Amino acid sequence: MTAVATKPPSSSSGTAIPPRRPSSAPMRFIKSPRFARAMFLPAVLVFWLISNKLIENSWDFDSSVLATPREVWDFMWAEVTRDTVAPKDLYETFGISLYRLGIGFSISMILGTTIGLGMGLSRAVNAFFHDWVMALLAMPALAWALFLSLIFGFDNKGPIIAVVLAGIPFVIVNVREGVRSTPRDLFDMSNAFGVPSNKRTRHVLLPSLYPFLFASARYALSIGWKGLVIIELFGGQDGAGWTVKFWYDAHRLHGVIGYSMFFVIFALVMENAILEPISRRVFRWRPSLNSPDIVEEEMDALYDVEELNRELDANLPTGSTQET
Amino acid sequence: MAEIKIRNLHKEFGTGADKVVALEDVNLDMGGHVFVSIVGPSGCGKSTLLNILSGIETPTSGSLEITQSGHKAAPGYVFQAARLLPWRTVMDNLLFVQQDKSDETRARCQKYLEMVQLGDKGDKFPGELSGGMQQRVGIARAFSIEPDVLFMDEPFSHLDAITARSLRRELHTMWADTGKTIIFVTHDVGEAVELSNRILVFAQGGRLEDDITVDLDFPRDAADEEVAIAKASVLRKFEEFDLLAT
Ligand SMILES: Nc1ncnc2c1ncn2[C@@H]1O[C@H](COP(=O)(O)OP(=O)(O)OP(=O)(O)O)[C@@H](O)[C@H]1O
Ligand SMILES: [Mg+2]
Repeated sequence: MTAVATKPPSSSSGTAIPPRRPSSAPMRFIKSPRFARAMFLPAVLVFWLISNKLIENSWDFDSSVLATPREVWDFMWAEVTRDTVAPKDLYETFGISLYRLGIGFSISMILGTTIGLGMGLSRAVNAFFHDWVMALLAMPALAWALFLSLIFGFDNKGPIIAVVLAGIPFVIVNVREGVRSTPRDLFDMSNAFGVPSNKRTRHVLLPSLYPFLFASARYALSIGWKGLVIIELFGGQDGAGWTVKFWYDAHRLHGVIGYSMFFVIFALVMENAILEPISRRVFRWRPSLNSPDIVEEEMDALYDVEELNRELDANLPTGSTQET
Repeated sequence: MAEIKIRNLHKEFGTGADKVVALEDVNLDMGGHVFVSIVGPSGCGKSTLLNILSGIETPTSGSLEITQSGHKAAPGYVFQAARLLPWRTVMDNLLFVQQDKSDETRARCQKYLEMVQLGDKGDKFPGELSGGMQQRVGIARAFSIEPDVLFMDEPFSHLDAITARSLRRELHTMWADTGKTIIFVTHDVGEAVELSNRILVFAQGGRLEDDITVDLDFPRDAADEEVAIAKASVLRKFEEFDLLAT
C-alpha cells in the first residue's frame, strides 16, 4: 500500500506544508524569467502589427504613413551598411554626437565633482551654489536647447554646454552627499593608527566616494545624452538628434523609429559594455550588492527632486542670516 | 613595555549651556605587563579617555605621557565595531596601518591573522566575514603593528555570548604571550574581572572613583567561586558610588 507515503497533510497537523510537485522541464522553462524576458520582443512585434491593422481599418488613412517592423528593420540595416539618403551616415552621425557627449560629460564630471566637494566641505560654498543647482535642476532641457542654439548657433559649443548643464546638478548633489557621508569612524581609526594623510585620502576618502561618483557618472551620461538629442534636434545641423528630425521632416516614420532604436541600442551597449563591467570591478568588495541596480537605487533616491529640494533647504545655514 | 602617566587630565565638550564634562581631573599611572579594565556607566568618559590616549581627541587641560620601549609610531586600537575598510581585503586592512609593505611586514600580519585563527582569510573582503571574524581582524590589526600598548573599547559588546567568550580567551592568551599593556574599556564587570589585574571604576562626570587590584590566577572562569566573589565586590562598589542609579 502507498497510503502512508501519500497521506494528505491536512489530515495530520495544520503546520505541515504539502510537498511541492516538481514541475516538468518544459513548464519550468516557460515559467523562468529568462523565457519571460525573451518573450518581450515577439510580444511587441505582435502588438505593433495588430495596432497597425486596427488603425488602418478604423480610419480612412494613408496606410503608407505607418511603418511595419519589416520596414524599420530594412531601414536600420541600410543605415548600418551605410546605405542612406541622409547627409551623414550612421557612424559619422553617432561619432559627432558621441564626441559632444564625451566632452560635455567630462566637463560636468570634473566641474561637478569640484563644486560638490566644495559644497560638502563648506557651508558657505553650499549656500552660494544652492539656488544655482536648484535652478539647473528645474530647467527643462528644451529651454536650454532653444537658448543655447540662439547664442551659439550651429557648431559644437551649444550641444556640449547642453550636456554639461543637464548633467552637472546631479554630479554636484551626489558628490556633496558623498562628502557628507564620509565614514568618520574610519578616519578616526586611521588617525589612531597614525596613518599619514595622503594614504588616508587614497584609501579611505576616495573609495568612500566611488559609489557616489559612479552614480553621478551614470546620471550625467543618461541625462546628458537626452539633453544632447534635444538640442541637436532643435538647434543643430548634424548629430543623432538632428538626424531623427531629418527623417521626421521626410515623413519617414520607419526612419524615426529606426533611429530611436539606435538610441536604445547605444544606451544598452554603454550600460552593458562599459558601465556594468566597471561597476562590477569597483564594487567587487560588496559581497551581495555587486549588481549595478544598487547604484541605480542610490541615484533614484537622488532623482527625487522634491526630496532633494527639502534636503538642500534643510542644509542651508539660516542662523547667520537671521542674526544680522 | 609601555608606561602611561596621566596628570590632572580634563576634557570638556561644547561651551556655555551645552558644556559636557567628559573627564574631570584624572590622575593615573599604568604600565608594564598589565591588563587594565575601565568600567563605569554609559557616558562617564571611558571612550573619551581612550581617544585622548590614542590621539584622536586632545585634552582640554592636563598632561599625558606615554613612553614605549624603542621606536613605536602608534598604539594599537580595537574599536567597538571592527572599523575595517570594506573595500580592502583582510590582509590589505592589516597592511593599511603598517609603515611599509615589505615581506617581513606581510609575514608579521599573517602571523597575527593566524593568531586569531583567520590565517586563511587574508584575501577575503570584510563583508564576506561574520561579525565575530571581523572583530578578530580588528584585534589582529591592533596587534600586528606590535605596539607596546593596546587600547580596546568594548571590543566584544556587539558579539553574541559564545563568540565573545572564545575571543576573551584568545585575547587573554595573546596578552599573556606578548607581554603588552592593555587598556580595556567594558561595561561588563564579569568580563573585567575575568581578564584584568586592575579595574578602574569611573563615575558619571568622568571622575575616577576607584582603583581595584584583582589578584587571582589565570585562566579565570566566571563559574569559579573566587571570580564570582571578586565580581560581586566590584558590583558592590558600584552601589556604594551610586553608579547603578545613573
Ligand atoms: N565629540 C563629542 N562631542 C560632544 N560631546 C561628546 C563627544 N564625545 C563624547 N561626548 C560626551 O562626553 C561624555 C563621555 O562620552 P564617552 O563616549 O566617553 O562615554 P563612554 O563612557 O564611552 O560611554 P559608553 O559606555 O556609552 O560608550 C558623554 O556625555 C558624551 O555625550
Ligand atoms: Mg564608549
